[in-house]
This record gives sequence, structure tokens and C-alpha cells, in this order.
Amino acid sequence: MKSKYWKLLAVFLSIGIVAAACGSDGDGGSSTTTAAQTTTTAAATTTTAEATTTTAEVEVVQTGSLLDTVKDRGTLNCGVSGSAVAFSETQADGSVTGFDADYCRAVAAAILGDAEAVSFTALTASERFTAVQTGDVDVLMRNTTWTQSRDSSVGMDFGPTTYYDGQQLMARVGDGFSADSTVADLDGAVVCTNIGTTTEKNIAEAALLAGAEITLLGFETSDEVYETFINGGCDITTTDGSALVGRKVKQQPDDQEWVIFPATPISKEPLGPTYGQNDSAFADAVNWTVYATIIMDEYGITSANVEATCADAEAEVARLCGGEGELQTGMGLPADAFYQVILQVGSYGEIYARNLNPVGLVREGSANAGWLDGGLIYSPPAR
Amino acid sequence: MSEMSSGLGVPTIPAPPEEPHLPPRQWIRENLFSSLFNTVLTIVSSLVILAIVRGLLAFIFNPQRQWEATATNLRLLMTQAYPEEQYLRVWVCVAVILTLTAMSMAVWRAGSAVPLPGVGRRLLSGGVLLALMALLAPFGTRSTFIWLVIGIVVAAGGEALRRFADEERSLSTLALLAMALGGLVATLWVVPYGSHTFNLQRTPRVLAEPGTVAMSTKLPWTLMLVVAVAAYFVGTLVRDRLPTNPLRATLLVTWLLMPPILLYLVLRDPSFDMGHVFTTDIPIFAAYAVLGGALLSWLTRPSTGEAGRIVAALVLVAGFAMFATPMRMIVRLDMLLLAGFALSAPTFSGGPRARRRYTAGWLGVLGMMSWLITAINTPSTVDVPGGFFIGGISLTLMVAIFTIVISFPLGLALALARTSNMPIFRLLATWFIEFVRGVPLITILIFFSIMVPLFLPPGMHLGEVAAVVIGYSLFSSAYLAENVRGGLQSVTRGQHEAAEAVGMTTSQKTVFIVLPQALRVAIPPLVGHCIGVFKETSLLAIIGLFDVLYIARYVMSNQTEFMGSTKENILFVSLIYWIFAYQMSKASQRLEQRTGLGER
Repeated sequence: MKSKYWKLLAVFLSIGIVAAACGSDGDGGSSTTTAAQTTTTAAATTTTAEATTTTAEVEVVQTGSLLDTVKDRGTLNCGVSGSAVAFSETQADGSVTGFDADYCRAVAAAILGDAEAVSFTALTASERFTAVQTGDVDVLMRNTTWTQSRDSSVGMDFGPTTYYDGQQLMARVGDGFSADSTVADLDGAVVCTNIGTTTEKNIAEAALLAGAEITLLGFETSDEVYETFINGGCDITTTDGSALVGRKVKQQPDDQEWVIFPATPISKEPLGPTYGQNDSAFADAVNWTVYATIIMDEYGITSANVEATCADAEAEVARLCGGEGELQTGMGLPADAFYQVILQVGSYGEIYARNLNPVGLVREGSANAGWLDGGLIYSPPAR
Repeated sequence: MSEMSSGLGVPTIPAPPEEPHLPPRQWIRENLFSSLFNTVLTIVSSLVILAIVRGLLAFIFNPQRQWEATATNLRLLMTQAYPEEQYLRVWVCVAVILTLTAMSMAVWRAGSAVPLPGVGRRLLSGGVLLALMALLAPFGTRSTFIWLVIGIVVAAGGEALRRFADEERSLSTLALLAMALGGLVATLWVVPYGSHTFNLQRTPRVLAEPGTVAMSTKLPWTLMLVVAVAAYFVGTLVRDRLPTNPLRATLLVTWLLMPPILLYLVLRDPSFDMGHVFTTDIPIFAAYAVLGGALLSWLTRPSTGEAGRIVAALVLVAGFAMFATPMRMIVRLDMLLLAGFALSAPTFSGGPRARRRYTAGWLGVLGMMSWLITAINTPSTVDVPGGFFIGGISLTLMVAIFTIVISFPLGLALALARTSNMPIFRLLATWFIEFVRGVPLITILIFFSIMVPLFLPPGMHLGEVAAVVIGYSLFSSAYLAENVRGGLQSVTRGQHEAAEAVGMTTSQKTVFIVLPQALRVAIPPLVGHCIGVFKETSLLAIIGLFDVLYIARYVMSNQTEFMGSTKENILFVSLIYWIFAYQMSKASQRLEQRTGLGER
């Protein structure tokens, strides 16, 4: 008698399950979702309820530019690494500092007038592009190299390069290496690097071209690479030049002398802001924030003297300061957008010095010097 | 066995009875040097252990080690970016958890008595160990001497206690625990650990000053200890004055409600939009409370009969159908909850008192859930940069606790479904379990964190932590189901038949006869599973969530000041993992003893 009704119940339940499965977008996980719903309703609520956010927010994303969304929201969602020395470090108090983090702040200062209106999201290399596509972050400042495939098939657009990096090698002077050494001198060397990055591929290709036979050792984290290097487990370490300099300054033991070579890196790694493609209004805002920091740097304007300089500026500086505001208002920014950027965050030179000098990276003579000083940092004119 | 030992006033000391009677020298001879082979084995293994300990100590006390990296980043490791001015909220959470722990210890009469000579034995071995460590550690002569003296003094005190103390006098393990914790807290005030601070606006940003730790560390911990001890005494008072079972039930319910309340009310501090609450949330709650209450009151009437089950099944179908139509999520979830209550109503049918109790239970659960959903959907006032407002150990613990709490009922249901006679349930459960067990956890985590957000229909947004907890719970429930199924199979056929013979329904039989016995048998694998869940939260690092291991491994070693400090950080984090996992393991042992597992 009882079992008969249980059977009836089972039939009802299965009808319910089928109905629910049909209703939920027909994705493959119907058995898993229904299991969760039928058995523990309380459990399902605590988790799925977070899924119910306002639909209004998403509608804004779909219409208009991201620029308007950011202005409505009042904060800029910026994707950073959160664990890249000097570029975006998470500090002991939870704050995010670094070169990339400062450019997030600069963009926020331009669009919203407040450099602190940034919400940082730490992203791994594998999730960074998904995060932009799902709208979790507005812009990536995550030392992302500008490549053809990312620009085209991945669906990203790239802003002006803020840091010209390139893969280099580091070895001990005691092993006979010098600043003039080349990849051809690596024959028979053990090379340590991080796994899962393009550095591995680059050094293998360079060695092949130079006809040098090398042994590659891969490690999960940078610390393991340098630990092994210090203990003599490998002859060479290789990664982006910016990271090598930092490690040399901070970790070179007293009884060793390290040298970085070749002077011309074995790869090109232009790093800069990255955002979703086909959104000109937002792209312009990000790009011209970067350009403004570069132009102001050319004029020697810093956060310290920007107030005084802008008070009686002329021509290009006056236009960037917001004197003839239509250039900024025409692109959907406040007239004093770039004045705020310089005042609250600083010019390119300041941002560079603040974050990269402490790890031993100097601008003079490098690819990141201004174009007037023989570097690559260049901006179109503001007029 | 247990009666005998409690007669001696030593209720639960699992030591073998002959051990206390052997003097140490004889014990060593019989156990370590009884034969030539044993002698060689003892010498070789002690040499290996000594070498390992020496290596570890040499590592820890190497002056090149950057322990200030760990000391400066303690807050980052605990809660990541939780703002300092709101830190009171974190301490309130810790205080609530400690209060509940201490009260539960009192109400369940945790702890046992150790005779004073036993305490002496422990002190003796601790002192000898300390002296040995002092000799092995790479200290200067002065430090070695000081620590050696301390070790010998402790050992001598222990030996004196062991020889001369009265066997009849004993000390509670809880008192010992309180003394140990009190000693630890006291060192915060006395020992110059150094004060390590970070301030972005200051040069240098990282500053290590000599002296004791900062006031913002030692004062809260001292208060926490006071709160815990006070809560224990309040617990003993309450225990002696109130009836036991309702008290224990209240505490259990509080434990269950605590994680969401602490997370969503205390830590997140939702700013309720009162207009929305009064025009939408409260009316929905009221409608479900009145109509659902009436329905349940009718369903629990014994005269309703089998028509009730049909109505209940229809409610469930209606609940599912609601997901196919545009509707507020809260309405759908409330409907599912009502369906769950309606389906189990006939099991609880009875007189007016039982019916009133059941309806009151419905009102309580519904109110709790309505409040929770409203709180979750309300923006937080705690302003934290970053994807999720808490990280570090807090995130690790939170994900572990939520996963365990959610996957437990889920796994139970899956196990019951897999062993049931109903083919649809059985097949679904089997498929689900076998599918999930065939997929690595990291795949599931990556799927839920990267793929699921892309599949969601526009308008739905799933936070990364929520997505991960769902995925992890599904994974964990499949394994848990198999553990429970093992327990279910250990319940003999006779138990089933006996339950059926006294006229129990299938659900009554399951709830009151089968499950209690099955779960008791399944305690060791279940606790093992919980420890596994806790430790495997470290996989969150791979999808970029700032759990404690990710912070130690990637974040701290990439700070300008602390490059190359990974080894120290990982050693510290492994200590944290060990403390939590070991406590769970001990709790499991105590639970096994309480339920008499392996004895009857």
C-alpha cells in the first residue's frame, strides 16, 4: 500500500525533474542541478541565491559603451596580477601597488575623477581574458604581452604600450659569462625558467637558432627558479628583463656576481592596457590617459608642480589641463580628466620611478626612456 | 572497560593499563632494545629523526631566513584585504565561534581528568624534548645554555610531580588546555617577538621594531581567551540548571546557523533597502507563512491520508515549474522549501501539539531563509578592493565549512537514493556519483570558475566563490555518499526487518533506525573526508582565489621587500594546516570513543 504511493511520488518527481531540465536552458548538467535542488533546498538557496543580482546592471553592459557603465557604477573594475613584483603587488595590508596598479588608478582618475575608485581583481594568466569577456573586469593591466593572436582571435584590443619588456638571461660572472655574452655561449648550460609561460618556448627557439644545446628545467614559481639558481642547480635563469633586474638587486648573494645578457632581448614583450574589442569610447579614454601621462612627462610636469603649471599653461599642456575642455568632454570625459590623473597619480616618469626604481630598473638608456632621450615611449600630439 | 576505568575516577584515558607500572628504564629496554634487530632499528631511526629535526631547526633559525615576511603579512594571511577600521567584525566572529565552542565543551562535558603523575610524565618528556632541541638548534652558546636550563627545569619539575604527586589527585585536560593557551597569550605581552608593521605612506613601508607585538594583536587575543573561559563557566551553569536535550538541540541549531549569519550579517554588513524589504520581501514571506502554514497544518492531520502525499508532490512539481517562468528567485526557492516540508509532513503527522510544532518549524526555517536571501542580495557596506571581500585563512575555512555543511545532506541523500528500491533515483544517483568521481577536482573547479560564468544566461551573475563552493560541494557529496553507503550496508537485514515488524514507514525506518547506525559506523571515513575537503581547498590557488596557500606562495614572495621568502611562508602555512587538520582528527577520535565505535 505504502510502496504504491511512493511509486506514484517517484513518477511525479521524474515529471518534475524533466520539466526542470527542459526549463533550464537545456545545458548538459541537468542531472547535477536537479539533484541539488531536490535533495537540499536549504543548501541550494545559500549558494544559488547569490546568482540573483539585478538585471538592470547587465542591460547597461549590453547597450552603450563601457565608459557609461563605469561612470554609472562609480568604480573601475581593473584586472591585475596581484603577484607581479613592482607591477602589481598585493601588500601586507591588502592594498594593491605597482606600475600596473597605478595605471588602473590613472584611468579611474580620468573617468571618475577619483584615483581611489578602483576595484582590483587579481587574475591568473588563464582567466584574464575570460574575465574581460564576462564583464567581471573593465580593463586588464596585467603585464599582458600584445600579440597578434590575442589582438585578433582572442577578441582583445590593446592600448599603447606602457612598458617595453623583453626576455633576457642571467648567469654568474664566475661561470665565464659577461654582459657581452650571447645565446650561442649557452652550449651545454642548464637553463631554469617558469613553466607554462612563453619564456620556455622563446629560449628553446633562440637556442635552436644559435645552435646551442641547452637543458631546460621548469619550475612552478619564480622563487623556486632563483632558489635553484643560487644553489647552483642551474647555470642560467631566463625570464623578462624587468623581473631579472629585480631579482639581481634583491637576491644576489655576497659570494656571487650575476650578469644579465644579451643587451638586445631574445623576445619582444610590449606590455600595456588590454580591453574587450570594438568599444572605441572606452578604448579612447584608456589610451589617452596613458598618452596624457607621457606628454606631461615630456614637459617635465609632475604631481608636485601640475597645479602651478596648469594655472598659466599654454598650447598642448593647457589643452590637457582642461583649459580648452572640449577635447576631453568630446570623448566623454570631464574637462579636467587628465589634470586629475597627473595630480592624483602622476606622470609616466613619476609612476615609473615610484614603482620600478626600488627594484633596480632605471629608465635612462632603456627602451622605456622618452623618444627625445632615445627610447620608445612616444605619444601622438594632443590637439 | 569504560565502566572499570570510570570507577577509578579516570574516565577516558586510552593508555594501555600496563604502561604506568613500568619504570622508564625497563620500558626502554623492553620496547626499544629487546633484540639485536630492534636495537639496530632504534639507533638508525633515531639518527634519521635527529638529522631531520636538526635540519629543520637549522632552517628555522638561519639568520638569512626572512621571517619578517610572515610576521609583517600575518593580517594578509588571515583575512587578505579586510579593512582595518572594520576589523572589529572579524574579532566578533572569532569571539562568537569561541563562545559556542566553549559552551559546547561545557554542555557536552568535554575533557577528562589526568592524574597528576600523568601530567608530570608529559612535562618530563616535554622538558627532555626542549633540552634536546636546544642542543640541536644552531644557537650561540648563551641561547643554547638558556634553553637547555629551561628544558632541564621543566623536565625536573615533571619528574618530581611524577614521583611524588598523589595518584588520586587529578587535573582536568580543559584546565591544562586553558593554562597552555593562557601561557601563549601571556607571552604576547612579555616576549619581545618584535612589532612588524606595514604602512604605504611611510618610508620605509615595512618596519620591524623591537619589543612586544602590536597592541592590536595582543589585546584582542587576550579578550578572546577571557571570553572563551567565561563562556565555559556560563556553559557549566546553564548545563546544571536547564534540561539537557533542548539545550543541546539549541546549541546544535546555533552551530548550523552560525556560518551564514557570521558571513552575511557580521562580516559583510548588508545595508538593507528598507523600502524594498517592506514592499517585497516581507509580503512574500507573509504569504508563504500563512498559506504554507495552513497547507502543512492540513497535511499533518492524520485523517488527511494519502491525498496529502499527492498534494505535496503537486507542490513540488509547481516548484520546479516556477523555474521555467520568469519569477523572483526567492518565490521559487520558497516554493521548493514548502514542497520539501509538504513531502515530509505525513511522517510527522499526529496530535495538535505535534502539528503545531511542525508548523512552527516551517515558520522558523522560512523566516531564516527569507532573511538570508535578502541579506545575500543586499550590497555590503564593507568596502574592500578585489573580487571577494575576504581571503587567506578566512576564505580557506569558509569554503571548507560551507562545502562540508552543504555536501553532507547532499551526500546523505545521494547515498539513500543509490541504495533505494526506486530505479529512477537509484540510476540518477549512481550516474551522478560515478560521473563526479571520474573527474578530477581541479577540472570541476576550473569548469565552475571559468566556464560556468560564460554559460549563464544574461542577467544571471555568479560570484567566483559561490561558483566554486557549488562545484566543490557537488564533488565532495559524491565521495561522501560512498562513505555513507558503506555505513548503510553495515546495517544488518535484521534491523530493517525489526523496524518493519513494529510498523514503521520506510522514512521512519530510515531516519530512526538505519541512518543513526550507518552514520556511527561511517564516522572515521566521514571525518577523513572532511579533513580532505579542508586541505584540498588549497586547489583554489590554481584558479586565482587568494586562499592562504596562494598568498604564501605567490603573493608574499612577489612583494618588493620580501622576494624569495617562499620557503618560510610555506613552512608557516603548513603549520596552520596541520593545527586545523590535527584538531579535526582528535575530534574524530573523541567522537569515536563517545559513540563506542570499535567496542560494541
